[in-house]
Amino acid sequence: MSSLFGNILKGWTDYTKGIEEGGHHEYEHMWGMVIDLDKCTGCNACSVACYAENNIATVGEEKYVARQSMQWLRVERYFDEPDIDPGAIDDENAMQERGASFLPMMCQQCNAATCEPVCPVAATYHTPDGLNAQIYNRCIGSRYCANNCPYRLRVFNFYSYTDENGAWPEPMKQQLNPDISVREKGVMEKCTFCIQRINAAKDKAKMENRQVTEGEVKTACQQTCPTQAIMFGDLLNPESKVTQAWVRQQIKLGKYKQDRENPTLRGYRIFEELNTDPSVLYLERVREE
Amino acid sequence: MVVVLVGAIIVIAAQILDQKLHYTSTDVVPGPIVPGTQYPDEAFTGIDVPQPIDFSHKIHAGDNEINCMFCHTYARRSKVSGIPPLSKCMGCHTVIATEKPEIQKLTAMWEKGESPQWNKVHDLPDFVHFTHQRHLKRFLFDNQELDVSDAKRVCSMCHGDIAEMTVAKKSRPLTMGFCIRCHEANEGPSDCTKCHK
Repeated sequence: MSSLFGNILKGWTDYTKGIEEGGHHEYEHMWGMVIDLDKCTGCNACSVACYAENNIATVGEEKYVARQSMQWLRVERYFDEPDIDPGAIDDENAMQERGASFLPMMCQQCNAATCEPVCPVAATYHTPDGLNAQIYNRCIGSRYCANNCPYRLRVFNFYSYTDENGAWPEPMKQQLNPDISVREKGVMEKCTFCIQRINAAKDKAKMENRQVTEGEVKTACQQTCPTQAIMFGDLLNPESKVTQAWVRQQIKLGKYKQDRENPTLRGYRIFEELNTDPSVLYLERVREE
Repeated sequence: MVVVLVGAIIVIAAQILDQKLHYTSTDVVPGPIVPGTQYPDEAFTGIDVPQPIDFSHKIHAGDNEINCMFCHTYARRSKVSGIPPLSKCMGCHTVIATEKPEIQKLTAMWEKGESPQWNKVHDLPDFVHFTHQRHLKRFLFDNQELDVSDAKRVCSMCHGDIAEMTVAKKSRPLTMGFCIRCHEANEGPSDCTKCHK
C-alpha cells in the first residue's frame, strides 16, 4: 500500500517540479549536442561516419529516389537566394552567388518526444540517459513513430539488406560493427547518439569506480567532423562544453519559447515551438549582408 | 461519500493488481553458493554439442580445481570469456597425460599447427550486449565474502555446474526472463538499452 501512495506523491512532486522549473527530469546523464552551422561546410563526412559506425545499409539510387534511404544523419541544403538570374537559367554553370547553407539533421532526442507515446509495443522509450532509444527486436514496424516525428528523422527498413545481394556482399560483412545489431526488414531505426559508445564509456567508468568524464564519449559524427562543428556532452554536468554553450546562448530546456535578453545570440532549437524539447542546439549561420 | 468510497476501492484494487503484475519469483533463491546474492535457479536441458576433442571440464575444474579464469582469461577483462589458445593446453600436456587418446589428438593438431574448431555452447543472440567483465566485478571481485579462487561458484550462476560436466552443455535457459529475474533480485540495471543494442 505504501508504495502506491509513494508513487502518487513522487509523481506529483515530479509534475510540480516540471512546471516550476521547466524540463525537470530525473536523469543519470542527459546527453546533448551543439552544432555550429557557421563551421559546417556541408562535406557530409558526418553522414558517412554514421553509416560506418551504425551498420546502416546503403540502398542505391533507385530506392533513394523512392525515399527509402536509411540515413540517420542527413545534411540538408538551403539556398538564401532561391532564384538564379532568369536569363542564365539554361547555363549549366549558373549558380547562386553565395552557395548553400547546410543543416546536419540527426535525431533531436526530444525530451517530450512525439514518437514515444504512439508506439503500440513500447519499442521506443526514454532512457535514464535522456535518450530516445529504439529497441529493434521489439519493433513490429507499425511506423507510427516515423509518421509522428516532425523532423522526419526515423527511417524504416523496407527491404532486407543482409543477404548476398544486399548492402554488404560477402567480404564487406567484415566491416560491420559488432557493438550494434544489424537490423532486418520491417524495423524502424534511428540515430541513437552512438549509444554503443556511451555504454562502453559507462562500463569502463564503472569498472574504474568513477563517473563518466567530459569528452570521454565522442559520437561518430563528432569524431569525423573536419571543422569540429559538432560538440557532444552531458547537459547535467555544469562543467561540460555543451552545457556552457547552452548557458551562453541562454537556451533553457523545457520551454517552447525562449525569453532571451540578447536577441543577437545565434542559438536555436529546431521546431522548439512544437514543445518537443529537443536536446540538440544549433548555432545559426551568420553571413555578411 | 459514495464517490470517495468508489475511489478508495479503485485505488486499493489498483494497488493489489499492481502487486500481482510485478513478478515475485519463487525460483529466485538466496545463493548459498555465491554469498550475498540471489539468482534464479532454473534448469534447462541443452542439446549435446559435439566437440572436436572431448574436453572434460570435470577433470580440469572439478577434480584438479583449476580456476576457470586460468583458461578463460578474458572473462575478467572483456565482454567474452575467450577460448584458450592451443599453446595454453600444450603448456601442461607436453608432460601430463600424454598417453590418453584425446591428448594424442591434441598433440597431433599442435604438431600440424591447426587449432581445434570448438563449437559454441552458450550462444546469446546478436542483439544482446552481455559483458563478462562487469558481472565478474559485481559478483566476484567486489564480493567481500567470496575469494577469487572460488570463481567457479560465480560462473555456475549462469553456466550451471560446469565442474561436474564432461563436455559442456547448456544447463540454464539464458532467456531474457532469466536475466531479468536475476537483475531484479540483485538490483542490476533495468534499462532496455543496457542489454539490447
